[in-house]
Amino acid sequence: MSLGDELRYLRAFHGGGDLGEIEQEMGLEPGTLRYMEQRYRRVGEDDEELAKIAAYYGTSLEKLQYHRERYRKALSAALHQAMESREPIRFELRTGETLAGRVRWWDLGTFGLETGDEAPLTVVQRHAVLDWHSQ
Amino acid sequence: MPEDLREIRNSKRMSMSQLASRSGISIATLIQYEKGEQDIPHNDLVRLAKALYVDEWDINPHSSPPPSPPRAARPAQASQPSPPKEKKPPQEKKAPPRSPPARDTQIAHMLTLAARFGIDRDALEEKIGKSLDELTQKEARQWNGHFMRRVAEEKPPSPINRKRAYLPEGIDGFELAYLQEQQEAGSSLDFTLFDGQTFEGMVIGFSPYQITIRESGGDEITLNKLAIAYYRKAAKKPAGGSTGGSK
Repeated sequence: MSLGDELRYLRAFHGGGDLGEIEQEMGLEPGTLRYMEQRYRRVGEDDEELAKIAAYYGTSLEKLQYHRERYRKALSAALHQAMESREPIRFELRTGETLAGRVRWWDLGTFGLETGDEAPLTVVQRHAVLDWHSQ
Repeated sequence: MPEDLREIRNSKRMSMSQLASRSGISIATLIQYEKGEQDIPHNDLVRLAKALYVDEWDINPHSSPPPSPPRAARPAQASQPSPPKEKKPPQEKKAPPRSPPARDTQIAHMLTLAARFGIDRDALEEKIGKSLDELTQKEARQWNGHFMRRVAEEKPPSPINRKRAYLPEGIDGFELAYLQEQQEAGSSLDFTLFDGQTFEGMVIGFSPYQITIRESGGDEITLNKLAIAYYRKAAKKPAGGSTGGSK
């Protein structure tokens, strides 16, 4: 899961709220959190900013750094490579489950995973993916 | 080049009310956007782009006013003879309507194109023979066309024949097609949410943010996509419904 998705998830679980107001309460420059939530590329390089966000949401800096490495473009690249090569790939989901299979297609928000010969196509929401591994 | 919201909506054959329900923006606001009475703020641009399956920069945030409809011909009055009209003195022939001033996006596009040929704003104004602020939409269109043709003609052949990967990140195209197919087939889908709850039902509607299903008992539930982890076609069961209990 990307840092942006994790931050959206954390904000939702803290009652939503206006981004501008939250940024102010965190002591961040206006637009910083919005930028991190929306970007597809790697963001959140400033650990000092991440530490402020982690403190506000009651999570750890290390956890946010973990998500920083799993940015959306990186997942796109992994999905694309898996789709082209037809190699199986394994996904760890936020639900605690692991899904493995071949990627049939992927787009902005989801990807279609063939988990077996008989199994129907599983449509996975990209923001539910915590981590991924080629098999 | 970004296009006006009205043109994109028409090209997608989407009605105003469909766009309103998909984007969550009221029809009244959409009308204002389409008439150019109000600039489209960034957050609404993002919502509209998702609803229309385009990129946000494809939408012009300031639409040009729609063309006025042609005037209906006056019905002939046959009942009473009209009194003889006084002859009006001959009027001067009206000048053809002047094109409205160029849009900011046209000027910005022109400056970007001109910069490719090392022409800055001052040089461009000298070349055109007037200030960019005085350009009309028609003139700006002509100059942009001129530069576009130059770009096409002078574009050097790429030294590397690079095949770029198709990255469908701008659209929910596959998911849209999948959900349409399942909806038309009347298939039942199993949804698993982040918190482990599951729901099963037939898709009766969806938008970029939500999917509405009808459970076997007839209840309709709208699932927020942010809460969904994954879904798939339900295995055929003799009877029974969802294991979840809330939305």
